[in-house]
Amino acid sequence: MKRRFAVFAALAVLCACAELLAGRGMSPTVVRDVLGGGGDATERHILLQLRLPRMLVALAAGACLGVAGLVLQSALRNPLAGPEVTGVTPGAVLGAVTATALGLAGWQSPLAVVVAACVGGCTGAALLWLLAGRGRGDPAQIALHGVLVSAVLGGLTAMVLLVAPGELGSVVQWLVGTTEGRVWQHWHLLWPWALVWGAVAWLLAGPLTLLRCGDDIAGAAGLSAARARTLALLCAVALTAGAVAAVGALGFVGLLVPHLALAVFGADLRMTLPGAALVGAAVVCGSDAAAQLLSRLLAVALDSGRLTLPVGALTTCVGAALLLAVVRRSPSRTF
Amino acid sequence: MAAASVCALSLGTPYVPLHRLPGALLDADRTLAGIVVTELRVPRLVLALVVGLCLGAAGLVLQEALRNALAVPEMLGVSSGAAFGVAAPLVLAVSIPTAVQPLLAIGGAVLGGGLTLLAAGLGRSPSAVLLTGAAVAAALQAALLVLMVMADQFDLQLIYRYLLGSLSARTWDDVTGLWPWLLVALPALVLCAPVLSVLRLGDEDAEALGVRAQRARFAALAIAIVLIAPVTAVCGPVAWVGFLAPHLARRLDPAADAVRWLPWSAAWGAVVVAVADVPARLALAPVETPVGAWTALLGVPVGVALLRSGPRKPTARRGAARSDAARSEAPATGPEAVPTAGKETR
Repeated sequence: MKRRFAVFAALAVLCACAELLAGRGMSPTVVRDVLGGGGDATERHILLQLRLPRMLVALAAGACLGVAGLVLQSALRNPLAGPEVTGVTPGAVLGAVTATALGLAGWQSPLAVVVAACVGGCTGAALLWLLAGRGRGDPAQIALHGVLVSAVLGGLTAMVLLVAPGELGSVVQWLVGTTEGRVWQHWHLLWPWALVWGAVAWLLAGPLTLLRCGDDIAGAAGLSAARARTLALLCAVALTAGAVAAVGALGFVGLLVPHLALAVFGADLRMTLPGAALVGAAVVCGSDAAAQLLSRLLAVALDSGRLTLPVGALTTCVGAALLLAVVRRSPSRTF
Repeated sequence: MAAASVCALSLGTPYVPLHRLPGALLDADRTLAGIVVTELRVPRLVLALVVGLCLGAAGLVLQEALRNALAVPEMLGVSSGAAFGVAAPLVLAVSIPTAVQPLLAIGGAVLGGGLTLLAAGLGRSPSAVLLTGAAVAAALQAALLVLMVMADQFDLQLIYRYLLGSLSARTWDDVTGLWPWLLVALPALVLCAPVLSVLRLGDEDAEALGVRAQRARFAALAIAIVLIAPVTAVCGPVAWVGFLAPHLARRLDPAADAVRWLPWSAAWGAVVVAVADVPARLALAPVETPVGAWTALLGVPVGVALLRSGPRKPTARRGAARSDAARSEAPATGPEAVPTAGKETR
């Protein structure tokens, strides 16, 4: 187990390094110079004020999403309950967009964006809870109603965007999820939030492991299932909201990272929760590095200067492919 | 439907009162109201009705063929695919003639729908198909968003409005562009309706009756794509009409079969789009809101309510005020009259 942790930690560090090296306009040797204390002012600025916070934000957001997905899946006992599928992510996007459009929150007050995203996420989750009604235990039902809730929330977001079209350009990047232009301010906002709720999630690891076994067993072990579940859902919503407020709606990370983490670290959440954080961080950071490299290659290939591939596009495409593969490979299982 | 049509023609700026409508329609070129009504509102209304017809019929065909109450174009990736096919040239600044747009949309829709069905397997459990579809749709949406990120600010507005499904500023040209496709699709629909009612029995029984189930499914998908893609090319993916209309049709006549449902579903689709277009024009005037956003906002809750309350008698709990309004109009057309015939003359 320790060895696996070490491997994944090394992987996350590797992705972080790749992220530092992958951007435009600087060769790896220059990066090494700057880290060694050399380089001119521009290079230092690019590396220390732009790339480093970007890397840290990607890591933190990935960790948040991974943990949030795992908490959700364990609390609902549903392998398909990622934040995207349960209406949490679209709700968070709606909240943030609405707050921005109403002028309550802007780039000057990022905390307001996080709070608004949190409220929106809670709304999305509550809507799903009401809709699913009796069918809460059935994974397919939840996923299905989640898609419907997401559709409604997406419609609302569209309405808001049409009323305040000035923000459209920046918001679109955000609807797909991107780490472009993240600076230290975002990082200062994200890490305390992630740390607090991550600690809460870790404290909930034991109860969540029991919840995975089913309500009867959890009750027999002396756990109040309903209370634990409510807390866990709140925690997942808060983590997702933080990640969405920082980098936008990254697709499929919260749905697929927990599966990977469970496969690697086993079903004891006291081990797997930190594991999921590591895996999520590695995945998002690696995707971001890959997206930057791909953008550079595509820009060279298509000979256009303005092509940037947002990281969310990459995670969504890869995630969709993985999901297709999973659904395809297990025909006997009904999802 | 009549009420929705009248509302669509008379409300807005300038407001044309009811008793002046016939006059406005007759002397089209002389008064301002006449010009507004004939050149802007009538084509828009006709387009809304046609779009609703196509989407309602396509939704029913898909749901019956896959025996899945949730097989709607949005969830199968068909709509996203078609939208992608239309939006891609817009961003890449490739100018294409309008006649080619439906073809591109069809290409995209085939890509999306085919991918979903191949990945999920045709006779698999509904939820598997649905999840695969959601994944495919998400991937296509991501591709679209990448395109949007590449676009500049002005194109972005245009594409975004298009993607939500909007009927604003559509003229007679757009309406006439749809006819050829409808002429292809209608006979095919008539032919495939009986086959659909056989498919309901399950694959084995259908095979015993001499229907090749898989082939019939592919044919149904093809028909649905031919219905959806041109509409998408003209006014963007108007969401969730294909989900709501068939459910309304079934709800009103639970004992019927696919052949009876098909015209009803198409009619309901037309009503839904026409009704949704009124708030789309008026809610936040002078800003136009896209009709697709309204159909999503109103249609999904109503559809879910209908789904969950299950097949009951038409006197049961109503889904929402909107379907009430539409419903009170429906009996006026008579239970047997198929409302597709008299519509274009209105």
